[in-house]
Amino acid sequence: MNPFIYIIVLMTLILSTTIVTTSSHWLFAWIGLEMNTMAIIPIMMKNPSPRATEASTKYFLTQTTASALLMLAIIINLMYSGQWTIMKVLNPTASTLMTTALAIKLGLSPFHFWVPEVTQGIPLSAGLILLTWQKLAPISILYQISPSVNLHLMLTMSMLSILIGGWAGLNQTQLRKIMAYSSITHMGWMTTILPYNPTLTLLNLMIYIMMTFAMFMLLILNSTTTTLSLTQTWNMMPTITILIMLMLLSMGGLPPLTGFMPKWMIIQELTKNDILTLPTLMTLTALLNLYFYMRLAYSTTLTLFPSINNMKMKWQFYPTKRMTLLPTAIVLSTMLLPITPMLSILM
Amino acid sequence: MALVHKLLNGTYILRKCPKPSVASCPFLGTRFADYCSSSLEKPVAAPGKASSQRKTEGNLEGHHQREVALDITSPEDKPEVSFDKAIKEEIKDHFRRLKDDIVNHWIGPEGRPLHEVLMEQAKVVWQFRGKEDLDKWIVTSDKTIGGRSEVFLKMGRSNQSALLYGTLSSEAPQDGESGRSGYCAMISKIPRGPFERKRFYDWSQFNTLYLRVRGDGRPWMVNIREDTDIIQRKDQMYSYFMFTRGGPYWQEVKIPFSKFFFSNQGRIRDAQYQLLLDKISSIGFTLADKVDGPFFLEIDFIGVFTDPAHTEEFAYENSPELNPRLFK
Repeated sequence: MNPFIYIIVLMTLILSTTIVTTSSHWLFAWIGLEMNTMAIIPIMMKNPSPRATEASTKYFLTQTTASALLMLAIIINLMYSGQWTIMKVLNPTASTLMTTALAIKLGLSPFHFWVPEVTQGIPLSAGLILLTWQKLAPISILYQISPSVNLHLMLTMSMLSILIGGWAGLNQTQLRKIMAYSSITHMGWMTTILPYNPTLTLLNLMIYIMMTFAMFMLLILNSTTTTLSLTQTWNMMPTITILIMLMLLSMGGLPPLTGFMPKWMIIQELTKNDILTLPTLMTLTALLNLYFYMRLAYSTTLTLFPSINNMKMKWQFYPTKRMTLLPTAIVLSTMLLPITPMLSILM
Repeated sequence: MALVHKLLNGTYILRKCPKPSVASCPFLGTRFADYCSSSLEKPVAAPGKASSQRKTEGNLEGHHQREVALDITSPEDKPEVSFDKAIKEEIKDHFRRLKDDIVNHWIGPEGRPLHEVLMEQAKVVWQFRGKEDLDKWIVTSDKTIGGRSEVFLKMGRSNQSALLYGTLSSEAPQDGESGRSGYCAMISKIPRGPFERKRFYDWSQFNTLYLRVRGDGRPWMVNIREDTDIIQRKDQMYSYFMFTRGGPYWQEVKIPFSKFFFSNQGRIRDAQYQLLLDKISSIGFTLADKVDGPFFLEIDFIGVFTDPAHTEEFAYENSPELNPRLFK
């Protein structure tokens, strides 16, 4: 893509999310969401191919459906409250429709079907933006309407997302699909705590973005999209192979890595609210995610994966890709647990 | 659609069957209920006792208005059809497949452990050892547009191969709009899961297609289609040529997936894209060499494997002159 055009598209993407997060008027928030959808389409189609076209089409259709639903909810809210300000939505119909629309945008179950299909069809860099930056806008709106979110609906969708994200990700060999199902699960964790403590949702979101960013950067560095190609990185970049393992374990929520922090805080908050069954189920279903992360770590780092003799070694070329923020992201994604008390105060 | 297919092609045959009525066919609707109750009314016989043929002849003489069974069956066996039972069996079959799907998901991808799937270097995807293997394929020719070509598929000798044979005719149909004609094709059916859910093949660990065939010297085209959800992509496919040698010996054809070129609506496109192997829907063989006459192609099996010596990712490159859009 022409660099000038690419910069304009990226700026539009950043501007759209800024408009959504800073807006207090429903219409402008909706406009920001629409700009967001439009701006990422050229990024997805950076390397045109029939698969990328299909992924972009699916993404566009789901997002515009969600936007239409959101607009309906906004108008119902306007009809009942008489104002456009983003605040607690008193009308239950409007609140339910808004929750549903934002769930479609986030890829929460049962509206999650587009996430792995779209993530699989686009390049790794576009997938990185899709699974990190594109979550900011809908979460910011959810944060603002969190007091009026339909509790049962939200908890049902969250629990389903955690379950389906873990179950469906079990047999994947494509890394982008694994990251997509990981995203669905993390969205489930984030939205579970939203009605009780929205601050923890934001904490979880920040840590999730850091971890996903680091993971995608590692995959881009290795240019790997399948599990089999990841098993051959051990002799090319041994340090990166170890970092992949640490990242996977952090995403699985294992202490003493950063990924444990949001899960711990969420379970603690739910327990403080006298809810015991839900965090138990969430923790148990999170084991499914941990299983396939561990399996990836096992085949990549912990063992020498079997292969035929003349495929054992690859040439160690000097890396040419510039990974500016990678060391920072990896440190933040793995070593933040000791400063948990400070982070909670800051949020 | 699946139920209609079952109704028309796979009826459940019983020895004793109550006369189907509208009340007993809740899922069928008025049209099928009429079909149940009227056209298949046959004289109900006690199983294995009276000779149905004699009885039918007696009925013919005595009762001209009564419907007579036209299908030839064994005198001992009086098949009765029950659509109700067929539908119930179909639904049970789908739930059984759903249960197997869930259990297989727990075991690993494709129902096998993950390490087994990842370490696989070669895989036979289609082989022809029985009639049920032929059911996974569809044969088609230009007869669908009014042409004169004919194509058939049957099991080869000793049920060890499939024989695709027929006659190619490039005579254009006289419909006023078709200028050219003459093709025959054999296409694999799209794999289906429970409730006719579309499935796909994941060949991302392999890089070469392996075919064991025996032809008559004609050039065939191997077409691969990707799984897609949008209708605009139904005419897109990736193709390569397979030149058969003819003669009595089997031929092993290896085609790397990097060699497949992209075409849309039957035309090779200037913008070429790599065949992505993670969502393959079907494979097909087409003969359209404009040579009229009989042809045959015997196929033993079709498989995929990893050729470590083949490192090419894509054999074609796009040109900035032909496709400036791709280089913007």
